[in-house]
Amino acid sequence: MRQKKRILKKTLVLGLAATFTAGVMTGCGSSSSSGTDASGAADSASETTTSDDGGKTLTFGCQNYGAGGIDPAVETNQAWNCMRYGIGQCLFQFDDTMQVQPWLCDSYEVSDDHKTWTFHIREGVKFSDGCDMTAQSVADSFKRLFTDGESGSSAPEKYLEKEAAITADDAAGTVTIVTQTAYPDLTKNLAYPVMAIVDVADTQDYAHGTIGTGPYVAKEYTEEVGYTLTANENYWDGEVPYDSVELLYMGDASAKAMALKSGQVDLVENITTVSDLEELEADENYTVTIANGVRCGFAYINQGGILGNKDLREAVIQAVDEKTMCETTVGGLYTYGFSVLPSNLAYNYDKLSNPFEYNQEEAKAKLDAAGIVDSDGDGIRELDGENISLKFITYENRALSTFAEGTQQLLAEIGIGVEVNNMDSESEWNEMVNGNYDLCSSNWTTVGTGDPTEYLDNWYGKSTANYCGYENEEYDKLYEQLLVELDDAKRTELITQMQQVLVDDAAVLVHGYYNSSMISSKAVANANIHTADYYWLTTEITPAN
Amino acid sequence: MDKKTFKKVTFIIWCALAAAIILTAIFAPVVTGGVDPTSGTLTDALKAPGQGHLFGTDKLGRDIFTRVIYGARTSLTAAFSVVILVFCVGTLLGILAGYFGGIVDTIIMRIADMMIAFPGLVLAIAVAGIMGASIKNAVIAISLVTWTKYARLARSLVLKIRNRDYVAAAIVTGSKTPYMLVRYMLPNVLPTMIITAATDIGGMMLELAGLSFLGFGAQPPTPEWGLMLNEGRSFMQAAPWLMIYPGLAIFIVVVVFNLLGDSLRDILDPRDE
Repeated sequence: MRQKKRILKKTLVLGLAATFTAGVMTGCGSSSSSGTDASGAADSASETTTSDDGGKTLTFGCQNYGAGGIDPAVETNQAWNCMRYGIGQCLFQFDDTMQVQPWLCDSYEVSDDHKTWTFHIREGVKFSDGCDMTAQSVADSFKRLFTDGESGSSAPEKYLEKEAAITADDAAGTVTIVTQTAYPDLTKNLAYPVMAIVDVADTQDYAHGTIGTGPYVAKEYTEEVGYTLTANENYWDGEVPYDSVELLYMGDASAKAMALKSGQVDLVENITTVSDLEELEADENYTVTIANGVRCGFAYINQGGILGNKDLREAVIQAVDEKTMCETTVGGLYTYGFSVLPSNLAYNYDKLSNPFEYNQEEAKAKLDAAGIVDSDGDGIRELDGENISLKFITYENRALSTFAEGTQQLLAEIGIGVEVNNMDSESEWNEMVNGNYDLCSSNWTTVGTGDPTEYLDNWYGKSTANYCGYENEEYDKLYEQLLVELDDAKRTELITQMQQVLVDDAAVLVHGYYNSSMISSKAVANANIHTADYYWLTTEITPAN
Repeated sequence: MDKKTFKKVTFIIWCALAAAIILTAIFAPVVTGGVDPTSGTLTDALKAPGQGHLFGTDKLGRDIFTRVIYGARTSLTAAFSVVILVFCVGTLLGILAGYFGGIVDTIIMRIADMMIAFPGLVLAIAVAGIMGASIKNAVIAISLVTWTKYARLARSLVLKIRNRDYVAAAIVTGSKTPYMLVRYMLPNVLPTMIITAATDIGGMMLELAGLSFLGFGAQPPTPEWGLMLNEGRSFMQAAPWLMIYPGLAIFIVVVVFNLLGDSLRDILDPRDE
């Protein structure tokens, strides 16, 4: 009898232990689904073994941003990594015209005052560890951003205010967000990578092992080398084409090109050396896809310095042949345009007029008329008795320093001296914030959240992000209207007017719009780059056969 | 031809070549036919050698031949500046340290020891990084780490004769200190110092080009070989002439000045006799 009891006890303990271990292994917290989870885990184990012998592997060479982290809450770069590597996904995603499409959310409702948003969470979506993505887990993921992301550069409050009340209704499968300020379109903000949905309950290592709902799972990370990603066995949206992805960090664009040619990698993103790109385009063994991006390459014009002089500013813009620089000097890496917003976006680029088309003779005449002439015969014009020497700060990224040097050469032709100062991006940023420049190379995402409001803030007179000291009453008035306008058509009209103000005021030296590229070998099919730079490893990319 | 005349002939040959390089630099506008090394036509970018551009053009359509020739000016001026600077400063401090000894010697030599504790180019990068990138600062940076070599050498040469009887005799007979330094110490160290300086020209040129290559030296649009190599780096496969010609220029000039230094040593070095 006693023995029987003991055996019973033992079995009980064992049973409990087993359940406990299973609980830890799966860790979903919901007891009902634990059975299916266990089988899911077993499935994935058997799958991995088969993929070891003869599984499909993709090798992908890319730049290392944000020190390789994939935690959306900590740093914007890391949030981008998380999405680019195919690990995290958002409630919404951007299509190639930067319109918002449903992703993890399949429908939503918004109140008339644009303050109450109800999102219906797509059913059947699982995190890569096999746990269900519930309304509660979505709410937890958003809430975590404000606790874990407070000190980081991700700044989640830029996309969703801290004061917002987030409630989940698991039965109805909805998340309701009630905000205090009205958002013109919150879905755009929720499509930004920082707002990716991660498994808060089970993620142990956010830096390199964030659990998301994407097609790939971060399995192994080696500092400065890269990731081994494996297919998400629980992926909700069809089959994952590769069993594993070797993601390798490559800093140098030429190195990426060489790795591709030597067969070390099958796929690379953004080769920024013109010559390499042209060579690969000409070679039929490689596929190069280039997409009109949403980035604008431009130089801030510091109004607090010598370029506060409008005649000089206009002459500078008129004397720089940005079209040739875009098409020849940087070999089509940029698409030419004169406004701060890319011409491929729906902000009426066609309706804008450019009074300062490239024309060096006119620029010279303008300077002569304004009394900015070279009186001492040294080839450099003077303003207030001093030789003009513009300080152009730049850094080597996306061919920006090439633009700076080209500008220097072209301005020398009309007698304006330029001193190019090529520094690292950190120093350049500090110099810019301190206003210690005349021209400052920049490459900005214009519609990161599908809307240019935040970007246009850079020229708003009362903004803290206005580093060029630009002030224009008309612009400020339009911007203030834009902040409260909820109607899409009216917003577009305001944005169009604001662009024209900047053009007429010669406020920005616009280089052009940066094109992203994705280059693949013949072993890979459908490797497209998207307009929104957030989606690199998608399920679209498949083995060629 | 005996050994001595052979040495003299080789020296004359290297001298002539070095003179040719210097003259090319001085008469750069004549050699290049008045082309401006910092201007070009954007649409003529990356033209292969030939077609009106002897060495081709770079990414901004500038003529490489012109830039290489003008680059000699930058490189030679900078390298000579470094060598002359460290030669004067190093020799002076070395002689003072060796002649006076004691506290003077300790202070100068400990400072020199400190400088030697750092790897030369790394310290130069740090100095150039702090002071800001320019060819002038690169010259100062390299001088700061190179003078110690000259100081130590001059000091050891002075120490060799400092306690000789004839030096003591000169002092006893009333020779003043400046006279001792200039007429007794300096002539003793000079030949070795000159040889060292001559053999260093090539090395200094390489270091300056290295700093410029890394972005700590000459700034665009200055025609400078190290900078040109860096600019051409990303075009290495598609437009190799961007790297070949500046590289070749560095190679030739460094070889000429190194061999000139060597043959100068062969002639001047008293140990051979």
